[in-house]
Amino acid sequence: MSKTGVFIETTDQEIKQSVFGVISAAAAGGGEVTGFLLDGRADKYKDQLAACGVTELVALEAKDIDFSKSPQATGEALAKGATDFGISALLGVSSPTGNDVLARAAMALKAPLALDCMDVDFTANTVKKSHFSGKAVATLEMTGALFVCGIRPNSFEAVESPVTIKITPHTVEVENSDAIIVTEVQAADSSRKDLTEATVIISGGRPMASSDNFKILDECARKLDAVVGASRAAVDAGYAPHSMQVGQTGKIVSPKLYIGCGLSGSVQHFAGMKTSKVIVAINTDKDAPIFTKSDYGIIGDLFEVVPALTKELEKQG
Amino acid sequence: MTLYLALKSAIMAILLAGAFYLFKTKVQRLFLIMQSVDGPGPGEPDRIKERMGVLFRDVLGQSNVRRKKMAGWAHTLIFFGFLAVQPHSLELMIRGVIPGFSVGHLLPGLYNFYLFTADILGFLVLAGFAYAAHRRFVTKPAYLTMGRDANLIILFTSVIIITFHLINACQVVSPYAAQGYDYSGVFPVSGIIVSIFGMAHLSADTQVFLFETFYFIHMLTILGFLIYIPGSKHLHLLAAAPNVFLKPLEREKAVQKTDIEDEDAESFGLGKINELNWYNVLNLYACTECGRCQEQCPADHTGKPLSPKAIVHDLKTDLFKWSDNILKGNKEEIDPIVGEGTEITPDIIWSCTTCRACEDICPVNIQHLDFILEARKYQVLMEAEFPVEMQDTFTNLENQGNPWGFSADTRGNWAKETGIPTMAENPHPDILWFVGSASSFDDRAVKISRALAELLKIAGVNVAILGEQEWGVGDTARRAGNEYLAQMMIMQNVEVLNECRPKRILTACPHTYNMLKNEYPEFGADFPVVHHSQYLLELVRQNRLILDERSLGTITFHDSCYLGRWNGIFDEPRELIAQMNRGQAPIEMKRTKDKGFCCGAGGARMFMEETLGNYINVDRAKEITATGADMVASACPYCITMLQDGLKECGSEIKVHDLAEIMHRKIKETH
Ligand SMILES: Cc1cc2nc3c(=O)[nH]c(=O)nc-3n(C[C@H](O)[C@H](O)[C@H](O)COP(=O)(O)OP(=O)(O)OC[C@H]3O[C@@H](n4cnc5c(N)ncnc54)[C@H](O)[C@@H]3O)c2cc1C
Ligand code: SF4
Ligand code: SF4
Repeated sequence: MSKTGVFIETTDQEIKQSVFGVISAAAAGGGEVTGFLLDGRADKYKDQLAACGVTELVALEAKDIDFSKSPQATGEALAKGATDFGISALLGVSSPTGNDVLARAAMALKAPLALDCMDVDFTANTVKKSHFSGKAVATLEMTGALFVCGIRPNSFEAVESPVTIKITPHTVEVENSDAIIVTEVQAADSSRKDLTEATVIISGGRPMASSDNFKILDECARKLDAVVGASRAAVDAGYAPHSMQVGQTGKIVSPKLYIGCGLSGSVQHFAGMKTSKVIVAINTDKDAPIFTKSDYGIIGDLFEVVPALTKELEKQG
Repeated sequence: MTLYLALKSAIMAILLAGAFYLFKTKVQRLFLIMQSVDGPGPGEPDRIKERMGVLFRDVLGQSNVRRKKMAGWAHTLIFFGFLAVQPHSLELMIRGVIPGFSVGHLLPGLYNFYLFTADILGFLVLAGFAYAAHRRFVTKPAYLTMGRDANLIILFTSVIIITFHLINACQVVSPYAAQGYDYSGVFPVSGIIVSIFGMAHLSADTQVFLFETFYFIHMLTILGFLIYIPGSKHLHLLAAAPNVFLKPLEREKAVQKTDIEDEDAESFGLGKINELNWYNVLNLYACTECGRCQEQCPADHTGKPLSPKAIVHDLKTDLFKWSDNILKGNKEEIDPIVGEGTEITPDIIWSCTTCRACEDICPVNIQHLDFILEARKYQVLMEAEFPVEMQDTFTNLENQGNPWGFSADTRGNWAKETGIPTMAENPHPDILWFVGSASSFDDRAVKISRALAELLKIAGVNVAILGEQEWGVGDTARRAGNEYLAQMMIMQNVEVLNECRPKRILTACPHTYNMLKNEYPEFGADFPVVHHSQYLLELVRQNRLILDERSLGTITFHDSCYLGRWNGIFDEPRELIAQMNRGQAPIEMKRTKDKGFCCGAGGARMFMEETLGNYINVDRAKEITATGADMVASACPYCITMLQDGLKECGSEIKVHDLAEIMHRKIKETH
């Protein structure tokens, strides 16, 4: 049976959410799924990974090397792991880190590489990529015994498919190159995550009235595992940084759930989030245009509604 | 003495020949550059009679220059004074070579009259200079270049005028200088110099000595000036008149149509300086560096790196830098205009709102947008370089025909409950309403569309829209330099329009109006177009919309650049406001009509983030609040959004309304 490898990308001791979708894609392909982990916390993650179909978790190690500081070493270690475990396709998320590391692995393996793929077919050895802003789809045939492929985030739903998992520590030898060393990682804005990858977004508009008030959105976001966004009016007033701006001249997002708090529903804002699956609006004005565009509307003061929502979520755990 | 005169003749002959030869070579080179650039220029000028009129009014009459009052009058004084002393200087030149030469003996009456006038006008030049010097050394407005060049010119010309008077004074007292002509009483100003300095009492020799000294200073300065002109900012003395003569006679203009199908074209837009056309080059020569364009520019005013004056200056510098390559045909080596380490950066060309305040104010009719928009075209079509936000905008325009990416088949949805039929439902309307993207998809603008729809119904207008057959008009793509996409969009509409051949097109969007009226004809769709501010006024005048006498409070009006400066529609909206508001004309803001201040949305800026300097719309909003008006009216969906955002940002409660909304509310209250 063929074996598919998945690069288990982690940040801040958590598996990146979109990795689970990639695992499901690999599992659906029929082969055995081998996870490659580089942060050494195999025990912590093993249940989560088993739940979606990883049969073997390879915890890669290398002497004197901190993988988090060296993308080159990470790529090479992945390559070694793939060879040592007889992998026929190595997958990962096409995130900035994923793209970096997978490219280095492909280089070390001298294997073909395709990034930002929407689909993979393990029997035909083909991948699908979108071109010309979604107007055309290219099917690429991946030749050779092994190919490397990055999957566009959120292309696949994570599905439960529990299996028993085996943890295999595996030490590889990689060169301790100092060509690139990560000395420091600075998040764009401390606690706030990337909007474009978020599955749930809760945004605040002009009536937030201060950056302090954004805390009530932060609290609610924690319960919902959501990322906080803002309108340009809130950004201009200095309540939130530009990196949080959703809209025509900010981020274009497409989460599963978008909660807009105190947003009038200007076309400039809407243009950036109109592809959200479900839109919920909280606004004091029943005639606010946002209500004509949302699936659910709450007429009310966001300073009452949002804390009440947080409280309810807390109750439910 | 005879020996001296012979010597003087020889020296003057050599000096004159040398100076004129140098002058000729320099001017010839400027001509050659104009002939050697590659861009396809405009053809032979048409409507010569009208152009002569322009020459009289704008150049001789100095009417354009005087749109800036004080500086304009100062320039007028300098201009006429300087012209006036020239014949006198010419006579002196000839006299230097042929000592006996004299016009005075032939036509004494005319000669005396001329000298009398020239003497006064010459003196007034100094008054003009006093004002210029005051501006340069005391008030120092930011838009003026305080270079050595300008100061040198003031010095040159002052010396010429002062020596002119001193020579005249000598001619009054010295028989040697007068050469047998009686100059007494001819010079009103120079005569005063004679008495102040008691020149009549000087010895004859001293008088001769003074005359010759002044004479040579005068001549050398004039000849020096002559050689200096072709390389300096005062090249405008030569190029301004032809440039004004060749100016576009119409206010309305279109973005230059590029033949994107041309398979032999190596490049599109303006990438390198040799791609200018001869008319562009003449434009650059003509700039006086007066800075008026910069003073009006909303980008410069709000701290962005763009100054239209600097663009002209930098292009001229670039042109002269590469002139050898251009003349020798060795053009590969020429560096791009926008590139690493160049004066003109991407930030500069993308800061422009295409408001045309610069073109409108320029006393010598320089067409700044011909440069800026062509440079954008090159960036987009050849380098694929443009602000990141435009990527999605372009994609949306291409796929869905609107900048936000709403599904194209929902374009007509806003009209569903208004009862306005589509062309399919009403194939023979009197008015085809071309709605435009903002007015179809932006909720704020849709409110205006609905108000207008109801007004049309009340007035009983036989109207139809295109519905989903309509496509984005192409303004955003074209002004963002994506000529390829713009032409695709334009052609799509042209086909539809030619199929239904409307009697008259109505639109409530100035950008749409401008495209349909000024840019579509070149693509084969030429139909009468009317903007709703004009059309509503028409309906009121025909008594098809009846207005009552109640007051709406005080209203100020914001001119949309594409209605005003691009199309000269200044009066109709104001008249309409007066009609709606008991004859009360709107309160004018400080910057209004042809000098109005842009809202910041034009030139596709509506779809780019404003990261440099201050917000243009906030600047304008402050001006609105300063009027103390109860309401600000406008007639453009982009302006409305910009002003509304700006006013909210200032914490102002002033309401922003479109003319159609104001009228709709008023009429509904009556009914
Ligand atoms: C060039 C340009 C680009 C732009 N790009 C973007 C962009 O990328 N993203 C963007 O968002 N905007 C953008 N805008 C701005 C856009 O035009 C709007 O001004 C902006 O989106 C409005 O933000 P808002 O909804 O937060 O504020 P407002 O329009 O002021 O709306 C506030 C809403 O909150 C409601 N409200 C008030 N108090 C409460 C309360 N206590 N509880 C609940 N509701 C309350 C009000 O009824 C109102 O509907 C852009 C504008 C321009 C000109
Ligand atoms: S068109 Fe307007 S923004 Fe552009 S350079 Fe001219 S004045 Fe400035
Ligand atoms: S371009 Fe025109 S307005 Fe601007 S500085 Fe030159 S002459 Fe003056």
